[in-house]
Amino acid sequence: MTDDEVKRILYVQTSGVESPGRSATVFFLAASAAAMDVEVGIYFTQTGPTLLQRGTPETLRIKPGGATLSHFMDQARDLGVRFYVCQPSLDLNDLKMEDLIDGVEMIGGAAFNDMALESDRVICF
Amino acid sequence: MTDIEIAATLDCRGLTCPLPVIKLSRAIRTIETGAVLEMLATDPGSVPDLEAFQKQTGHTVIEQSQAEGVFRFLVKRMK
Repeated sequence: MTDDEVKRILYVQTSGVESPGRSATVFFLAASAAAMDVEVGIYFTQTGPTLLQRGTPETLRIKPGGATLSHFMDQARDLGVRFYVCQPSLDLNDLKMEDLIDGVEMIGGAAFNDMALESDRVICF
Repeated sequence: MTDIEIAATLDCRGLTCPLPVIKLSRAIRTIETGAVLEMLATDPGSVPDLEAFQKQTGHTVIEQSQAEGVFRFLVKRMK
């Protein structure tokens, strides 16, 4: 497969720990896309980065008594989904890169917009 | 029924979206190119999902049937 044939979807996650019910869908869909050989990234902004705080995925339950977020997050990452944040979003939530789970990549607004332009679709949650 | 040789069977009965497609994407890599994987599923969403999977990945659903609430797909690895 040449690079031009690879399809790309960029998801944007704007909700965080304040709304568990809005936290898992992005990982479901990202994992499904990655399973179809789509190149997938998730950009966490507004309160989205709070989902990436070390210790959070293991404890955040999507609904009372249900599975934790880490289950869905790991599923997506195992399939190669990449996670992105930018500095202002971290500042908004009083987070630093070292507070986050491993493997999260720091980008900026220009890089985000470039990714959006290079993607086949951008989907916002 | 046909005489298609089945290289492996993936049992996704009882699993819901997105697990069947995720497991399929892994399982298809474990068989040889040109070989056929049998997949069983109970999630009705797996029907449109396999349609999408074959469209996007090029692997082909060569046979599809349903009996007693179980969907059976034969998926051929194409690359």
